[in-house]
Amino acid sequence: MKNRFKQIFLKDILKELLANKVNLVFMLLALIISLTALNTIYSLGASAKKQVLDVLANLQFGKDAMLVIAGGGKIIGVTTTRTDTMKMKDVENIERLEFVKLVSPWVRGILEVSYEGFSEKMRIEGVTPSYSLANNWYTKEGRFFSEQDLKNMAKVCVLGAEVPQKIKAKQVIGKKIKIGGEYFEVIGILEPKPSFGHFRHDERILIPLTTAMRRVFNKDYLDAMKILFKENTDIELAKETIRGILRQNHNLYGIQPDDFRLITPDMAIERFTATTRILTVFLLAISVISLVISGVIIMNLMYANIEERAPVIALRLALGATPSNIIQHYLTMALIVALISGFIGWWLSLGLMQLISFFSPLKPLFSWTTFFISLGFSMLTTIIFSLIPAYKATQIEPSILLKSL
Amino acid sequence: MGDKIVILEDIQKIYQIGKVSYQVLKGIDLEVEQGEFLVIMGTSGSGKTTLLNIIGLLDKPTSGRYFLEGEEVSKFDSKKLAYIRNRKLGFIFQAFHLVPWATALENVLLPLLYRPEGFSKDDEKRAISLLERLGLGERIHAKPKELSGGQQQRVAIARALITNPKLLLADEPTGNLDSASSKEVMNIFKELNAEGLTIIMVTHDPEIAKNGKRIKVIADGIFVDEKQV
Repeated sequence: MKNRFKQIFLKDILKELLANKVNLVFMLLALIISLTALNTIYSLGASAKKQVLDVLANLQFGKDAMLVIAGGGKIIGVTTTRTDTMKMKDVENIERLEFVKLVSPWVRGILEVSYEGFSEKMRIEGVTPSYSLANNWYTKEGRFFSEQDLKNMAKVCVLGAEVPQKIKAKQVIGKKIKIGGEYFEVIGILEPKPSFGHFRHDERILIPLTTAMRRVFNKDYLDAMKILFKENTDIELAKETIRGILRQNHNLYGIQPDDFRLITPDMAIERFTATTRILTVFLLAISVISLVISGVIIMNLMYANIEERAPVIALRLALGATPSNIIQHYLTMALIVALISGFIGWWLSLGLMQLISFFSPLKPLFSWTTFFISLGFSMLTTIIFSLIPAYKATQIEPSILLKSL
Repeated sequence: MGDKIVILEDIQKIYQIGKVSYQVLKGIDLEVEQGEFLVIMGTSGSGKTTLLNIIGLLDKPTSGRYFLEGEEVSKFDSKKLAYIRNRKLGFIFQAFHLVPWATALENVLLPLLYRPEGFSKDDEKRAISLLERLGLGERIHAKPKELSGGQQQRVAIARALITNPKLLLADEPTGNLDSASSKEVMNIFKELNAEGLTIIMVTHDPEIAKNGKRIKVIADGIFVDEKQV
């Protein structure tokens, strides 16, 4: 009847725990608060990352894609070279590579946009028809640019999904809006895309690339291009090939630095999550500290418990419990506390995430990882901080039982 | 040495409290035979409890040798001592020392919790029959606070007996009991002794001491008198 034995063993511990409910409640509370914080922060970080990934995937910026941005330098930070060297010739050369599916170049700028009573500076992008395919982004109303629009430098535009609402226009297709002093006919509206942070995808206005370069921004160089590769392309190799072409076209030799940046999805994710990561690491550090504080609280409460239970511990020792029996007893007790608070902490953090999702774009993320992190940290903390009190318990002199000296 | 269960040779115990040292036991020699019912009597401060602590392996002598069933236990480490306490000794305390949150039955089973082999259904049956024999058949699931002093001490006796000890050690077992309960407990002791259990009991009460077969009087850390009853 080993089971019956274990049952009595556990029952003994549970009853000892319940014998001092105030003590138990504070032990649980100490752990639950810091575990909830830890879990929530971890989940928020994970949720933010997932969202970035989703957004990027939605924009066709998966593993077979790459961005080329004019101007050299670090991925994050100011450019340290000329930015006016990337030309249409580069695009043509890259398009000819056999592993390239398509190239979508663009120029961009901020310009005054007016429509009837409305006037505001907005983000304008000059793009080619391949933009739709390159970004998996199509019009929900009207049409996108054609090759003809490009050739004619047509003064037409396609609006982001939120633009009509923003410029307070209904039935905007066919109407003319003023962009940087020129009138453009609206030919289409893009479908909405999810975005994060301040980078609003749906608040841009697209115009044909040629029109943008010659009529609006008056420049002969590109700001960036997006390249989609054919399936199973060796990205590293492709990257090096493209780098070679660009360096040659831009007359860069030897140790002269690149005057462009090649950005792969990994780097983009890195960039998007960098700021949140610093915050997450900081908050995680705080919650780990709070976990240590909980540990110290638990240690003290364990001490108090063991002091209060000294006669019972002495009795156990007198009846033949070995020091390891006593340590086992109190570590099991610590584990029980850890499991209960680990579970509650995890559950509370789920609720908290749900609450946060009402106020922020972050969606609650159910994951077993956080569940096991919660239990793991909880057990680690309680065990580490219960070891000393448990050891102290073994040092109790059983002779205190016979007090009738 | 065959049927001598306890042999103490020149046991001394010195307590060091700060710079002052107290010699509580000043050379105790004692032999206890199988089946004896020895009473150690003394006033408070005479060293009788310290002596019982040493016999019960709850404390170590400062010097001297102690043989329990022929083994020199004064040389054992704490783990071995725990084993001996669990297998060979049974304790009865003045204050009963029952685990407050455990039922009578759980209290009786407590010593078996510290055996690596655990306990069996038979052990549980034995615990119940021990409680029944001690008149607690109706109260096996009662908590200590629901029991009278006499009943609590009987639970403690059952707990001491569950391990089939060789030696029962009792420290003022009637100290917290009224006279009727005291008498009851003493009758149980006599009965157990008649069945062959060796008992060493410590008391300051001459009336209670009369229950033993042999009485040794301790004063100021040394045996001063001995009488057979």
